[in-house]
Amino acid sequence: MTPSSTATPVRRRRRRLSLGRALVYLGLLVAVVLTLIPFVWMLLGSVKTQPELIRRPPTWLPETFTWDNFTAWFTRLDFGTFFFNSVVVALFTVLGTLVFCSLVGYALAKLDFPGKRTLFGLVLVTLMIPGVVTFIPLFVVVSKLGLVSTYPALILPFLAGPLGVFLMRQFMQEIPDALIEAARIDGASELRIFARVVMPLCGPALATLAILTFLGSWNNFLWPLVVAQTADMYTLPVALSLYSVGQNATNYGVLLAGSVLIIVPVLLLFVLLQRYFIQGIAVTGIK
Amino acid sequence: MKSRITAVAAVAAATALVLSGCGRSDTAGSQDGPAELTDGPATGTVTIWAQGTEGEALQEFVKPFEEANPDVTVEVTPVPWDSALNKYQTAVAGGTTPDIGMIGTDWMPGLVSSLQPTPDAIDTSDIFPYAVGTTEFDGVRHGVPWYVETRLIFHRTDLMEEAGFDEFPADWDGFKELAEAYKANGAEYAVALPAGGWNGFLGNLPFMWSNGADIVSEDGSEWTFDTPEIVEGLEYVKGFFDEGLADANPDTENSSNAANFVDGSVPMFLSGPWDVPGIADAGGAGFEDKFDVAPIPASPDGTSTSFAAGANLVVFDSAENPDAAWKLIQWLTQPEVQVEWFQTVNALPSQQSAWDDPVLSEDPKVAAFGDQLESVKTAPNFSNWSEVSAAADTYVEQIMRGGKDPAEAMAELQAEADSMGTGE
Repeated sequence: MTPSSTATPVRRRRRRLSLGRALVYLGLLVAVVLTLIPFVWMLLGSVKTQPELIRRPPTWLPETFTWDNFTAWFTRLDFGTFFFNSVVVALFTVLGTLVFCSLVGYALAKLDFPGKRTLFGLVLVTLMIPGVVTFIPLFVVVSKLGLVSTYPALILPFLAGPLGVFLMRQFMQEIPDALIEAARIDGASELRIFARVVMPLCGPALATLAILTFLGSWNNFLWPLVVAQTADMYTLPVALSLYSVGQNATNYGVLLAGSVLIIVPVLLLFVLLQRYFIQGIAVTGIK
Repeated sequence: MKSRITAVAAVAAATALVLSGCGRSDTAGSQDGPAELTDGPATGTVTIWAQGTEGEALQEFVKPFEEANPDVTVEVTPVPWDSALNKYQTAVAGGTTPDIGMIGTDWMPGLVSSLQPTPDAIDTSDIFPYAVGTTEFDGVRHGVPWYVETRLIFHRTDLMEEAGFDEFPADWDGFKELAEAYKANGAEYAVALPAGGWNGFLGNLPFMWSNGADIVSEDGSEWTFDTPEIVEGLEYVKGFFDEGLADANPDTENSSNAANFVDGSVPMFLSGPWDVPGIADAGGAGFEDKFDVAPIPASPDGTSTSFAAGANLVVFDSAENPDAAWKLIQWLTQPEVQVEWFQTVNALPSQQSAWDDPVLSEDPKVAAFGDQLESVKTAPNFSNWSEVSAAADTYVEQIMRGGKDPAEAMAELQAEADSMGTGE
């Protein structure tokens, strides 16, 4: 009895700690599983046949394993073209957004000129206007410019969004004026200060903006659908809708296989930029 | 991230504004009169948008037309069904329409002001009259019906025999008895019927039509929702919900009808021709012998009448090559070409004489659709039909789910519809 009584308090404390931990881990595990289930379902579903996909009760593991849904994307359908279009559009939208939004953001944050407050106010106002309100006028402008069914039509309207300008301006305002003044005294031009002093300090904000813009562009459906009037200009989401969702019936296998193909690049990007992603979320949290 | 549903709704609303604001006035289209078709082959480039499988298969399909008209090039753009109407509406607003569009019959009222009248040289006298009716506005045809479709009752023949029925009943009483027999034989519900939601009224309308009802007066000047025929039809449908023969809270996902049908839990539902291959596919090998399609059962005083829709080929006002466009439409709607098109994408021909071809007449499940198409009605061609339809849907929900008295509900709907007018 006696030896064990001296050992008990220690063991009990350990046990209590590990029980708490176990509960936390259990909670986290449940959350992870809940988050992953739709993805696992999508992955498994993409190699099932249509009858199996709509059967009840649903099956988890495919009974008849098939690559048909994937081969459809690469043989019957022109996956390469759609993927290329999506990449071109996303790439130029992201690059353009980073350049233009930070230029405007810098001007609004650090330069003094008449009407600056009004301009910033205008940016905030456009932030409040839902995109759908300007959808048709924007399309009319694009068609009057003769840009329908071109890459510029898919890219230009998203190059300097008010959210990006706002985000960059808010972040740049935190950069000490002393740094910029020191560069100015050293004789650096305004553009040089922007490129060499300010931009290198904006890493987290730029990463946030890049990720938000990329996801927005990659998943955009309605604008590419309307503005691409030939099939060779379609992006992945438009192609996904075209080939899997009919008027009255849905080809679930092709839909899920296409979803897997669309999500893979996003996942890769996330893995590569994970560090910035988390920093970025912290940045947006700070305001 | 903006919600797509809101986006779509707002775009539709914005387009409606643009169309009514800057579009041409209603009479302008008919003032010009239909264009004369030139003699000789079609020339130049014709652009055409087509949705879904039609869009995928059409480019290959028009090769014979291109060979017969060596100076013509046809450019097909496949368009997703999802948000296709938005695409057409924005193209009209921006003046970037194709020459030819594939327009669902229910979209016609909203787009007709930007469509060309059909040239007199194009003969539509052999096409199903209801389908031609969907192209007619103020007595002027705008476009040519391409494919047609109607709704039949899909039912499990194997379970029907188990339940003691050899033949599918053609009248209301028999249909109800069959439903009860299905349920007694172990089905969870007998038939899938809309209990509300989008197009809940339209989905049940075949039962009312098959009771001699109509929702618009003959001259199209007023709504007739509060007639005894409509009320009786709704009471008949309500009986299925009250007696547990239909699920008042069904899963509305597209695939649920197929899943319930294949596992036998709901052995009857109303659907169109696309579900014949769809169900055979969902059920796996041999399943096509376990189900059949049958006409809508009629009341003692009525004739079986179903709901019909389809798509029309139209030429837009801003078409750059209307002459060749009409010639392509003329070619695509020839009976022989339509039979081939049926074999390509399973789209039912709008030309009645095409149905005499053995490819269609010797397939009993296909021929059944042809028989029903002899007696069909369609949603009214009014610009405000979608608003009236939405109002009707809420009353259907109150009746089927809430147990409201159909006569009372229809009197209220009549008052509401009267205040909206018939949009004529």
